[in-house]
Amino acid sequence: MRRSDRGKRALTYIGFVIISFFILFPFLWMISVSFRSKADVFDPGNFFASFTLNNYRTIFASGIGRLFKNSAIIAVLSTLVSLVLGSLAAYGFARYGWKKREKRAFWVLSQRFLPPMAVIVPYFMLASLLRLVDTYLLLIICYTSFNLPFAMWMMRGFIEDLPRELEEAAMVDGCSQLQTLWRIILPLVLPGMTATAIFCMINCWNEFVFANFLTTIQAKTVPTSVMTYLSVSGVKWGEMAATGTLSVLPVLAFAIGVQKYMIRGLTFGSVKG
Amino acid sequence: MVWNPNRGPRAEGGFVRRLFARNPHWKYIAPAMTVLFLLSIVPTLFLFGISFTNYQLGWKLDRAKFVDIRNYTRLFSGRDVDFWHAVEISLEFMVLATLIQLALGFVIALMLNKYEFKLKPLLVGILIVPLAMTPTIAGQMWKLMFNAEYGLINYVLTALFNWKVTWLSSDMAFWSILIVDIWQFTPFVTLILYAGLRSLPTEPLEAAMIDGASPMRTIFHITIPMMKKLIFLALLLRAVDALKLFDTAFVLTQGGPGNATEFLSLHVYRLVNAQNGLLGRGAAVAVVLLVVVTAVSRLLIRLQQREEG
Repeated sequence: MRRSDRGKRALTYIGFVIISFFILFPFLWMISVSFRSKADVFDPGNFFASFTLNNYRTIFASGIGRLFKNSAIIAVLSTLVSLVLGSLAAYGFARYGWKKREKRAFWVLSQRFLPPMAVIVPYFMLASLLRLVDTYLLLIICYTSFNLPFAMWMMRGFIEDLPRELEEAAMVDGCSQLQTLWRIILPLVLPGMTATAIFCMINCWNEFVFANFLTTIQAKTVPTSVMTYLSVSGVKWGEMAATGTLSVLPVLAFAIGVQKYMIRGLTFGSVKG
Repeated sequence: MVWNPNRGPRAEGGFVRRLFARNPHWKYIAPAMTVLFLLSIVPTLFLFGISFTNYQLGWKLDRAKFVDIRNYTRLFSGRDVDFWHAVEISLEFMVLATLIQLALGFVIALMLNKYEFKLKPLLVGILIVPLAMTPTIAGQMWKLMFNAEYGLINYVLTALFNWKVTWLSSDMAFWSILIVDIWQFTPFVTLILYAGLRSLPTEPLEAAMIDGASPMRTIFHITIPMMKKLIFLALLLRAVDALKLFDTAFVLTQGGPGNATEFLSLHVYRLVNAQNGLLGRGAAVAVVLLVVVTAVSRLLIRLQQREEG
C-alpha cells in the first residue's frame, strides 16, 4: 500500500515537471531569443548561442521607452477612473437592496463580454468624428468600458465581506455617509482595492485590439509594437522578444504580489479562494 | 429586509431630488451606470446604424446610402461562403478549446490538490506566466517556434522522430492556434478549479472513501457535482473569450492561409481593414458576432440557473 502510494506521488511530480516545462517553454524561449543575435535566432538547436544585448540596445534606440510610457499612463488613468466609479457602484450594489439589483449587476457583467472586434467599427467612426483617434483619452475611455465592470464586481465582493455593523456603529457615532465611506470602509477594503487596481492595469497593459486600431503614432502602446517588427526584410524576432521580455516582467512582479487575490481576480470576484 | 441608512423622514425638494431620496442606491450607482450605458449603448446603436448602410472607410458620412437589410440578406442568402466558414470555425474552435481546457485544467487541478509539497507556490507561479505574457508577443513567439524550416518544434521533432509538420499550413493552422490557446488558458482554468477544490468540504469525500468508492466514482459523483458552479463559471468565461478570439490568431496567421483560420473577429477585420474598408458590411458581421456571443452567454447562464433550480 505505502509503496504504491509513493509511486503515485512520484508519478504526479513527474507530471508536474512535464506540465511546467510545456507552460514555461515559450516564455523561456522568448527570453533566450531576446539575447540572441539575428543569425542565432534561426538556429534553435544551438543552446550556447552567443550572448548579446544588441536587441535591447536597438529597441531603446528606436524609442520603445515612449510606448512603455504610453502604456503606463493609459493603464493608470483608466484604472483610477474605473476604481473610483466602480467602488462607489459596488457600495450601492453591496449595501442596498432593490428589486432589479441582480439583473442590473448582470448587465454590468455582460459589458465585459462585448467582443472588441464588434465594437471597433463604431468606436473608430465616433472617434474620427470627435477627432479623438490616436489620443490617450480615447484608449482610456475604451479600457474603462471593460475595467469598470470588473472593478465593480471585485469591489462588491470585498465590501460584502465587511460586517454591516461597522457602518451602523460609525453612523451612530455621528459620522456622515461620506465620512463613513472615507474613514471606515476605504481603509478596510484597501488591500482588495489594490489587487483590483493591479488586475485592471494588467488588462490594459496587454490589450491589443483597441490599441492597434485606434492609435497611429502618438498613443501607441506596447502590445502594438509587434506590428512594427514585421518589416519588409523579415520579422525582427530578437527585438520583438526583447520587448516581450521587458513587458512581461512588471506584470509578473505585480501578479505575484497579488497572488492571494489571484482567483478572485480571474473570476470577477465570484470565487473567494 | 435590507438595511437602509437613508430611510427617514420624507425628503423635501424637487422631483429629481425626491427620486434620489426614494432610491438611495442611485447616488452610488448612477455615475458608473451612466458611463457604462454611454460606452455600450451608443457604439452598439451606431454599429446597428452603419450595418444598414453601404458606408466605406474614408467616406464623408453623408455619402453613405441606406441599403436597408441588404448587408444581412447577403450574409444569410447562403452565397456568402466566407461568412459561413467563419461562423463554423468560430463555433468549432469555441467548443474544442473550451472542452479541452476544462478537461485538462480539471486534471491538473486534481493533481495539484492531491498532495502537499513545498514547491507548490512555485508551480502556481508558473501557471500565471502564460496569463501574464502579452498575447500578441506570445503569439509571435509561437509563430517562430512553429516555423517549418527553422522553428524549434520541428527541430525537436526531426531530432527525435525524423518528422516534420508544416504547422501554419491551411490544414494545420487551425490546430496550431488551438494549441496556443490551450497553452494560454488551461492554466487559467486550472487556477479557478484548484481554488474550488481546496474550498470543498472534506466530509463527503471521506465518507465516500470509507464506503470504498473508487477514486473515479468519487470524482464523478461527488467532486464534480459539488464544483458545478465553478465549472460553469470557467465554461462561461472560456467559451465567450474563445468566441471573441482575435489577437493570437491575428499575429499567427492573419486568418490565413487563404481563409483557413478566418474566425468571425478576423472576418470583420478583413472586411473593414484599410484595403477593403467595407465598414457597412463589416458592421453587419460584427452585429452577428455580438448576437452569437450574447446568445452563448445567455444560454450558459440560463443552463446554470436551471441546474441550481
